[in-house]
Amino acid sequence: MSFQVVFNEFEGPLDLMLHLIKENKLDLFDLEFDVLVDQYLLYLEQAEALNLEIDSEYLVELATMIEYKSKRLLPKKEEDLVDEYEEDPKDRLVRRLMEYQQFKDVSSVLENYYKERQLQIGKPLSLENEEWIKNNENMPIEGNPYDLVKAMSKVLRRLSLSKPIETKMKTKEISVDDRILQIKARWMELPETFSFEMLSSDCENVEMVIVTFLASLDLIRRQELVFTVDENDVIWFKRGVKRGNE
Amino acid sequence: MEMNKSAILEGLLYIVGEEGLSEQQVADCMDISLSEAENLFLELQKSYNSDDRGIEIVHYGEYYKFVSKAEIHEYAQKLFADVKQSSLSQSALETLAIVAYKQPITRVEIEEIRGVGCDMMLRKLQARNLIEETGRSDAPGRPILYGVTQEFMDSFKLLSLKELPDLPTFEREQEDLFD
Repeated sequence: MSFQVVFNEFEGPLDLMLHLIKENKLDLFDLEFDVLVDQYLLYLEQAEALNLEIDSEYLVELATMIEYKSKRLLPKKEEDLVDEYEEDPKDRLVRRLMEYQQFKDVSSVLENYYKERQLQIGKPLSLENEEWIKNNENMPIEGNPYDLVKAMSKVLRRLSLSKPIETKMKTKEISVDDRILQIKARWMELPETFSFEMLSSDCENVEMVIVTFLASLDLIRRQELVFTVDENDVIWFKRGVKRGNE
Repeated sequence: MEMNKSAILEGLLYIVGEEGLSEQQVADCMDISLSEAENLFLELQKSYNSDDRGIEIVHYGEYYKFVSKAEIHEYAQKLFADVKQSSLSQSALETLAIVAYKQPITRVEIEEIRGVGCDMMLRKLQARNLIEETGRSDAPGRPILYGVTQEFMDSFKLLSLKELPDLPTFEREQEDLFD
């Protein structure tokens, strides 16, 4: 029998096993374990023959199955009335397969919900106006990188929404280092605390906003800037302790 | 003359856009009770349900917001060069489903169910604001516990987690009696 090995199609070893169970018309409630192990092994061998990389997770499951299979071949000792209860590996595998199948099924329902939601379009908050945003001078200086990533994706979103109609722009390339110099030249115009939007107000395109973002990250690293992210995902900056060469 | 409360609510909803408004926010800002706020929302929501309207008020998680009706989408697609539709990969959906049904849950517990490592996926979902850290488990090493966010509720059109579909159950296939 020859079959095509499409390895990337599977989300993991459990997904592959469920596929093999279906393919070979096995019953989850009365699993022919040996057939499953043979098919699984065959599949991995084919993948190997095609020089496909096999993730370690697939091998872990294989090792567990083979251990179970080989244990059953050994004569059982009567004294093995186990002190600690340990779930039979086969039962455990079946339970995991069933649980995984449940989530696999329900995730396709969720996917539909997600697609439906995509059809409903909202519009951004109307008050991007600076005076509406309470500017807290004593802002706490904290935040982690993920807050920044989150806030940055909002900035890009706002930017894309503010220019819904296609426009053509010449691409001006600017390096992060040059941008840092530009930002430093503007220190004086900026208030004590300023938002990322204010910092990028002279940006003409997304590339420039990103360069500005990278420049501000570098300034944060050099402790020339400190940042915080407020509850509206607005990034606020303040001059840091180090002043650098100006 | 004082403005009609329903009209004030409509105006506020317009301003906040997709950030949405909660009953609590409306109660605080209009100085009314929570149940009055809820009634105002329901009334307004009903009036937008009519076929004469192209926008509707949805209620996902804690927040109510204006959105264009799904039927408008195909026209929006013609109007704009590309109306972006983001999508989630199969592994992202599976991970989200597990977090939503089992939360609070640790990374190791999710990996046990999926059979594959989920570290990167959890970070990605966190960066997309679909899941968040909700605390620490008492298990050794005090691993981080994850749960879904308001953004998740919004993205999947859910009012609360109770609205999640029931997990499918396994029925033993009927034995053929006449075999």
